[in-house]
Amino acid sequence: MKWIPNFNSSNSLRVIFVIAVFILLFLSSIAYKHNQDLNESSKVVMHTYEINIQLERLMSAIKDAETGQRGYIITRNARFLTPYIYSRDKVNTSFITLKKLTADNPQQQENLQKLFKLITQRFVSFENCLKYSDPKTYDKRKLDNHMFGGRILMENIRFKVDEMNDIEKTFLKTRLKIYDSEISLSPLFSISLFLVALCFILLAYRQISRDFERLKVFNKRLLISSGLIAESESIGNFSTWQWDLDADKIDYSDNQYRLLGHEPNSFVPNKATLLKFVHPDDKETFASYMDGIVERKQLPFVYYKIVRPNYEVRYFKTTAKIVTDQQGSKILLGINFDITDEHLLNIELQERNKELEKSNKELASFNHVASHDLQEPLRKIQTFISRVSDADKAVMSDSAKNYISKIESSAKRMRVLIDDLLLFSRTNTTKKEFIKINLNELLDNAESELAEIIEEKKAVIKTNKLPKLSVIPYQIEQLFINLIGNSLKYSRPEIEPEISIISEKVNSSDYPEILEQSIKKFHKITFTDNGMGFDPQFKETIFILFQRLHSKTDYPGTGIGLAICKKIVENHKGHIIADSTLGKGSQFTVFLPD
Amino acid sequence: MQKNALHILLADDDEDDRLFFKDAFEEIKIQTNVNFVHDGMQLMDHLMNTDNKLPDILFLDLNMPKKTGKECLIEIKKTEHLKDIIIAIYSTSSSEEDIEDTFIQGANIYIKKPSDFNTLKKIINEVVTVNWHYHTSGLNRDNFLLRLK
Repeated sequence: MKWIPNFNSSNSLRVIFVIAVFILLFLSSIAYKHNQDLNESSKVVMHTYEINIQLERLMSAIKDAETGQRGYIITRNARFLTPYIYSRDKVNTSFITLKKLTADNPQQQENLQKLFKLITQRFVSFENCLKYSDPKTYDKRKLDNHMFGGRILMENIRFKVDEMNDIEKTFLKTRLKIYDSEISLSPLFSISLFLVALCFILLAYRQISRDFERLKVFNKRLLISSGLIAESESIGNFSTWQWDLDADKIDYSDNQYRLLGHEPNSFVPNKATLLKFVHPDDKETFASYMDGIVERKQLPFVYYKIVRPNYEVRYFKTTAKIVTDQQGSKILLGINFDITDEHLLNIELQERNKELEKSNKELASFNHVASHDLQEPLRKIQTFISRVSDADKAVMSDSAKNYISKIESSAKRMRVLIDDLLLFSRTNTTKKEFIKINLNELLDNAESELAEIIEEKKAVIKTNKLPKLSVIPYQIEQLFINLIGNSLKYSRPEIEPEISIISEKVNSSDYPEILEQSIKKFHKITFTDNGMGFDPQFKETIFILFQRLHSKTDYPGTGIGLAICKKIVENHKGHIIADSTLGKGSQFTVFLPD
Repeated sequence: MQKNALHILLADDDEDDRLFFKDAFEEIKIQTNVNFVHDGMQLMDHLMNTDNKLPDILFLDLNMPKKTGKECLIEIKKTEHLKDIIIAIYSTSSSEEDIEDTFIQGANIYIKKPSDFNTLKKIINEVVTVNWHYHTSGLNRDNFLLRLK
């Protein structure tokens, strides 16, 4: 059962969020690395720059020494020697610094070592120049040699310094190149990644707002349907309850409280609450029903009574079903119906039915009384009269003979009346066994029953093919006898009776006022005669019991025949109507269901 | 009592009917030997008593005190030496139910008590003179109820 709307997007939302977070984490780690790289490269630049400066300082210190020495040699003024003297210290300081700076580079260390050797040689050459330029130890050739050697040394030093500077520059260049190659790719990459993350977040945002819209719609629908349910519960006299079996929590609908005679939410229901309301008579049944509830998935209806706080007894009907919700917890859904009204109505109906059955039985026993006990004395009267032989009549007075004949005709009339009445009540009380039979067969039986009078009146009966129907055979035969008998009885004197019986199939929808619409097809059987007919104003009353249109003396009859016809047709869920033109003939139409 | 006379037994509690029956037999001039019993108990006693000659035709009223005609009919048909007696139901009732029941229980003919003495004579004549062997072999629901031609 799908009774909670499914929000699929929540799962995809989660995925989108996780992806976006990962992208952002990745981006920030890249940014951190870039920062580190930048730091590193600026350190490298600084390093190269410092080495460069120190080398330049070294160079200039040597140059200062050279210049100072030249000045002293030319002028012999000791003041020129000052830079030369200091230059040694400067060179040493720069050397220490350089040694530290190139500690991580063995090649530069080696170069530095060579440079140091060259500088030391240069200073030795300085010393020698000073020595041989001194007037005391002046030696022009040696001075020239040393001056020249100093010159070469100086060039070598310059060359070495340049070489070292070049190495640092190349080192710097390669470092910068690596860094550039790393950094040149990343801005585009990180911007696109950022955009992707942004897209994801936007997508998620859109999904969220869409879900919100859907939630709003569902909320509204829920609100409407819960209102509708509450309304229909109170109109339909039923209520619902939910029992969360895992949490053991029971919820009653508002109407459940009302049906129990309380205000909504006036108490907190639990497992035993409903049992408290159940009528003492039904407590045991109801308790065992509630126990069985959990084992069976779906329950049949249980019927019981409850007692309201004001001691009013109401009749309830309950059913329940276990459902499992999306979270997998089992919930028992139940419906209670207050069937008090129906129940009371049912009881009333049952009582009425009993009464009807009783009166039917009485009617049946009356039937017996009429068939036996009433006929018995009548038959004797008639038989005794028939015993009064012609010989006896001959010695009677005229008036006595007259009385005898009056008694005879009265008894005969009584006999007809009793027979007809019996017939009428029997059409109602005897077993109604429907048998599929050809109506032509029943018509033949009816005609042979009436053979005597048909012959006497020279009547002509024309009929087309009648249908084969499921009927109570002797009743339909009786119907035919009564209708044909009626036509023969009320024929016009001097005119030979002609009766035509025509059958056709019709739709019940063509006769909405008289036919049962739940049955689609009917057979319409029309009996038309050329008799004396009757005033059409009597076409309804003619079927009422004991209604007679003619005086007893003109046409003997009991007024039961057509009432029997009506009863028979009604027993078959059909309908009978009559129509006539006075002096021309009558028409009886019988509708029998297919 | 004549030797070849037909043995007739009427079981009926109504004195007048017995009288009509007796008179009718006297008038139709067939050699018959008519006996009467007044109720169902008496009928069964009479039949069970081996001193009495079994009737050729038993006319049986349905509505009798002590034991009804239908009960007697069932008992007779269950009793080996009685079950071949020809039984004519002789009743005031002409209800479908009674006719149906007695037909099923094995009665041979159903006579509705007439309300005319001459008709009674005709009926008795018909019943007594019928070829029972032939009638019984062709017995069906339609010719069970006696109708005079």
